[in-house]
Amino acid sequence: MFNLSEEEILRYSRHIILSEVGGAGQQKLKDASVLVIGAGGLGSPALLYLAAAGVGHVGIVEDDIVDITNLQRQIIHTTADVGRPKARSASETMKQINPHIEVDEHQQRLTKDNIFEIIDMYGIIVDGVDNFPTRYLVNDACVMKKKKLVEAGILRFMGLIMSISGAETACYRCVFEEPPPPGTVPTCAEAGVLGAVAGVVGTLQATEVLKMITGVGKPLYNRLLQFDADELRFHEVKAPRNPKCPVCGDNRTITELVEYDYTCESQAPSSP
Amino acid sequence: MGETGINSEKTGMLSSGKDAPCPGPACLDLVVQGKKIHYHGTRNVLSLLESQGENAVYANVRINGEVLRRRDFENIALNDGDEVDFLYYMGGGARRQP
Repeated sequence: MFNLSEEEILRYSRHIILSEVGGAGQQKLKDASVLVIGAGGLGSPALLYLAAAGVGHVGIVEDDIVDITNLQRQIIHTTADVGRPKARSASETMKQINPHIEVDEHQQRLTKDNIFEIIDMYGIIVDGVDNFPTRYLVNDACVMKKKKLVEAGILRFMGLIMSISGAETACYRCVFEEPPPPGTVPTCAEAGVLGAVAGVVGTLQATEVLKMITGVGKPLYNRLLQFDADELRFHEVKAPRNPKCPVCGDNRTITELVEYDYTCESQAPSSP
Repeated sequence: MGETGINSEKTGMLSSGKDAPCPGPACLDLVVQGKKIHYHGTRNVLSLLESQGENAVYANVRINGEVLRRRDFENIALNDGDEVDFLYYMGGGARRQP
């Protein structure tokens, strides 16, 4: 039997009626644990859909507070949340949507000293970070811990997403071996981003997570999907494992976590 | 694709390939981002990237299935029929690097 109450069966009935999901799939969602790193543009829609879908245990890593400039795309927060911790604001919204789920707030910045301990608590990781140093830290940690990771980024009218299964499929470094040269890639704050692009890509991340948990369909492994809202086009690029990848390739040169410097002047690792 | 993608009018180095082959030897038939194009510029990856405008500096490049190292862009020659994908770095919303 499934451990779902009458209210839950009713709440998730549009899932359960899908033959590919059914009661068994919904139970898998309830038993699953997912960590979303960042409660911003990508994390907002991802967290909302994971909560609504009934993922039983969701963690949020976020040390920032809600700013008025966030509200154009970070739809899990409201005007009344400005000045409040994003992790708390997101957690409260999720519990209002679905009181049956458990939400952990990790109000801290990820570092090479705490990332293993945090990601070990969850089965699947969703990357919604807002900077490259953390993006590479998350990728490397997930490869080393053989965690499933749904990676994504947005800028201006574009987005990208790829799913990664530990050391079994291509990782972010297989495609983007090193962070971009300092100063070459603007942030959304500098170059802007169409708010709904975050919604599209973050929702795709949630979709990938729900597929991974239920076993439905084919995850975006060894493929990279680029979204261009300007022309409303998706462009899929095959991205098989790169044997030269420094973290998951045949001759690995990164065997310990690397934290890139945050300054604009240097992207060199601060320590091996 | 706006400022981040193919913009033949901006550079004058690209034209739509559609189904017709290149009109002469000074032109390469390429498939860039899934689109057939005629390329008239210098035949290396860096030049193709530069022909896309300033934002192309934050792209990685994959040719015929192989992801290139950024330091090799200037030395990798383009050949007729190459399939080229630009893979854009997209960081996120940080106001500045924390």
